[in-house]
Amino acid sequence: MKKFNIAITGLGGQGIITAGTILKNAVLDSVMQDVSGSERRGGAQREGYVEAFVKYIFYDSIAELQNSRKNMHSPMIASGDADALISLEPLETLRAVSYINKNSVIIFNTNTHIPISVRMGKDKYPELDDILESLYGITNRVFYYDFNKLSLENFGSIISCNVISLGVLFAKTNIPVSKNVIENILLKGSKAEDNLKAFNIGLNL
Amino acid sequence: MANLFVDGKYGDRGIILGNEAIARGALEAGIGYASMYPGTPASEIIIALDKNKKNIKNIYTEFSLNEHISLHGAIGASWSGIRSLCAMKNVGLNVASEPAHFLAYTGVKAGLVLAIGSDPGAPSSSNEQDDRWYSLHTYMPIIEPSNIQEAKDFTKKAFDISEQFSFGIVLMAPSRLCHNAGILHFGDCLNRDLISGNFKRDPENYLNLFNLAVKNHKKYLKRNELLKKYVYNSELNMIIDAQISSIKSSRIGFVSSGVIYSHLVEALNFINADDYKILKLGITFPLSEELIGKFLDNVDEVVIVEEAEGFLEFQIKKIAFEIGYHGKIHGKNIFKAYGELTIDDVIKGVAGFLRKAVPEHFSAAINKSEILSDKIPQRMGTFCVGCPHRATIYSILKASGYSNTDSKDRDVIIAGDIGCYTLGLLPPYNAMDWLTCMNSGLSIGQAISIADKSKKIIALVGDSTFYHSGIPVLMNAIQNNSNILYIILDNSWTAMTGHQKTPSTKTEIDGTPIPNSVNLKDLLKSLGVSYIKTLDPNSVKRFSVIIKEALKEKGLRVIIAKRECILQEERRKKIKNIKFKLENNPEIIYELQKERCVKCDECFVELACPAIQSAKENGINNGKEYYFIDPVSCVKCGVCYEVCPNSAIRKVEFNLHPSINSESQLCFLNNK
Ligand code: SF4
Ligand code: SF4
Repeated sequence: MKKFNIAITGLGGQGIITAGTILKNAVLDSVMQDVSGSERRGGAQREGYVEAFVKYIFYDSIAELQNSRKNMHSPMIASGDADALISLEPLETLRAVSYINKNSVIIFNTNTHIPISVRMGKDKYPELDDILESLYGITNRVFYYDFNKLSLENFGSIISCNVISLGVLFAKTNIPVSKNVIENILLKGSKAEDNLKAFNIGLNL
Repeated sequence: MANLFVDGKYGDRGIILGNEAIARGALEAGIGYASMYPGTPASEIIIALDKNKKNIKNIYTEFSLNEHISLHGAIGASWSGIRSLCAMKNVGLNVASEPAHFLAYTGVKAGLVLAIGSDPGAPSSSNEQDDRWYSLHTYMPIIEPSNIQEAKDFTKKAFDISEQFSFGIVLMAPSRLCHNAGILHFGDCLNRDLISGNFKRDPENYLNLFNLAVKNHKKYLKRNELLKKYVYNSELNMIIDAQISSIKSSRIGFVSSGVIYSHLVEALNFINADDYKILKLGITFPLSEELIGKFLDNVDEVVIVEEAEGFLEFQIKKIAFEIGYHGKIHGKNIFKAYGELTIDDVIKGVAGFLRKAVPEHFSAAINKSEILSDKIPQRMGTFCVGCPHRATIYSILKASGYSNTDSKDRDVIIAGDIGCYTLGLLPPYNAMDWLTCMNSGLSIGQAISIADKSKKIIALVGDSTFYHSGIPVLMNAIQNNSNILYIILDNSWTAMTGHQKTPSTKTEIDGTPIPNSVNLKDLLKSLGVSYIKTLDPNSVKRFSVIIKEALKEKGLRVIIAKRECILQEERRKKIKNIKFKLENNPEIIYELQKERCVKCDECFVELACPAIQSAKENGINNGKEYYFIDPVSCVKCGVCYEVCPNSAIRKVEFNLHPSINSESQLCFLNNK
């Protein structure tokens, strides 16, 4: 059995859950694949922290697929067990380091969103350099971009940050899914043209 | 994707949410009635059916006013021979516990399934209660699916069990299952043409009084015994034997159910200990003594892996006592009884018990995140940009003089309640003095107004919560002449759970009028409230003056803070723009002029609209900090414009015209 775990984190309204669903649809191409992964939305409609897990499972044999010791998968990712982390907010990247290990790939958005405690002067928002230092202390495969800026420049809104980040995922990790599969999924969805473009922007970063 | 949820057939596969899988199971079982009072994490169960109802023959869906009504509704449908699904969140069963306690007495006709979304860790709830304990006295059998496929299959099966033994069946789904999305293999649906109701009198069962009640009690205890025989043979339970029977591994067994079972299987694989006996319970009430006995017989030690207080452990220990089991039973001595039981908790607990090492990358990650954790400021949810509740909470705090403080003693007491406005209890507002269950605000508040006459009391309630069970509370307060200011935050929708209608919603989102909607003001008048004021909360200055005045008065006063949820307002605008092409309307933008801003923090911290942001001069680390309005997220509600005491926020009205003259206008246009 092969596995590939992806944790996606960020804030409400950033399309975290949509990104997870796009990735999950990729397993429908083969019966030997499976996927699990829950979403968690913080208390609010917007602004709260949101997390989606995508756990790909590739069975080696039909016997394995039918083995009840092997074919049941937790919806959560254990500490250190993510192959990739996508985070659409720097602070949330730091919060999600529990999922990553020394071989994980981190992809994150540098556009910050200041939590209330920082507004109130009770906490300090860490500097980007500090965040990077902490991340590099775990893995050296860290990729970061201003997805908000990229999305604004290309689409006039920040709505495409999530799909751009998926492009980066396919460019920078050895995710065992073909990018054509994702492109086909995007083609069938709404705003296909924009999404395909966004995905390709990410692929070429 | 074609609409598999409705049209899927045997052989189809799709990615589907846990909640939708439950609804699909009910659809395959041929339900004709589905009801709920919305509540996270269960809402999408009925939403999935409701939004597709045009394409589903013979289905009735209802967002009832509360869970008590909702479950009664499902019972009525069942008695009429129609399979029914009722859904609610964990605490909903407290409200529906009355019908739940009668259902075993009267029994069902057509199958009835009560799907409960539990919320361990309480990310969206005011408590973590484990509703399984109810079944010790409601006798409702409990089914617990572990993944998406089981969520659908077990729900479908539950309808048969319900009919066979005449019990309403509880289907337990924690948020980790409700909001898991994975592969579903669809089955076929029963022929929907056959669904039609026919209520037949059945006084022997449905009249539940005096000796009839005693008779019914005896009957259901007997049915419960019969059910246990079924449970013994049911494929919903599964004993997984050890394959290589080394002496040690074969004498240890694990018991688990639901999502926690999926954690257990993964945890055992994770630590390379995948050869222990496991009893997977798909039906967790009633347990079959025979099945448990059979499993215990072959092990010297058993570990029960479950969330919360240990419902399985409680039952299994009782059975073990009765059969004279001499082995050891572990459970809550290993796994905590509070908070969510995560995959990490299960890995640690199981590894600790088996004295197995955890993988290095696992412990390294835990250590790293522990070291980092105090560097990371907490992020708590807050109101959406432009939310009228923000304006209401802000106005209340200004009127009562307690903005942005969490001081222990206040002369004005503010009672919270359940809904989006609950977020007012979080910083920076710290506005609420208690928050427990639905309508606890006014209920507790009216007693405090008697117990402590030195305080002024404001009780908050949302429209949906008010209609849920607030009317009797209000009548009680009126009758006893409570000295309290009751603020109804009427945003026209049950917003938190995805904008279901409330009784006073006047128009659908597309503008279609709703003819039988309730006029809240008339209702209050007829209940005997004489002091009623209706205000737009976004006029914060006026609003806080009115609150101040109202606080000086005596008796029961009601203020209706009336403004539609901003998300719905925005949706309406979009639909209108598409319909009428209103492109030539003047545009309004709000601009924060940094030259005039003295950073008094009134808008940035006190009001704390997330669209007002800060940046460093020239984007450099040690540059001077300034505030600005992010034109992308600002929804132009104008509240910050009202609150700025220094006229630093400017309202700019303009027609889309070539003469564009300011940076933010330009930015605004670029983003359009
Ligand atoms: S007008 Fe002001 S308060 Fe309203 S959304 Fe925009 S920035 Fe926020
Ligand atoms: S309220 Fe006015 S002066 Fe105060 S921080 Fe906001 S814009 Fe600046």
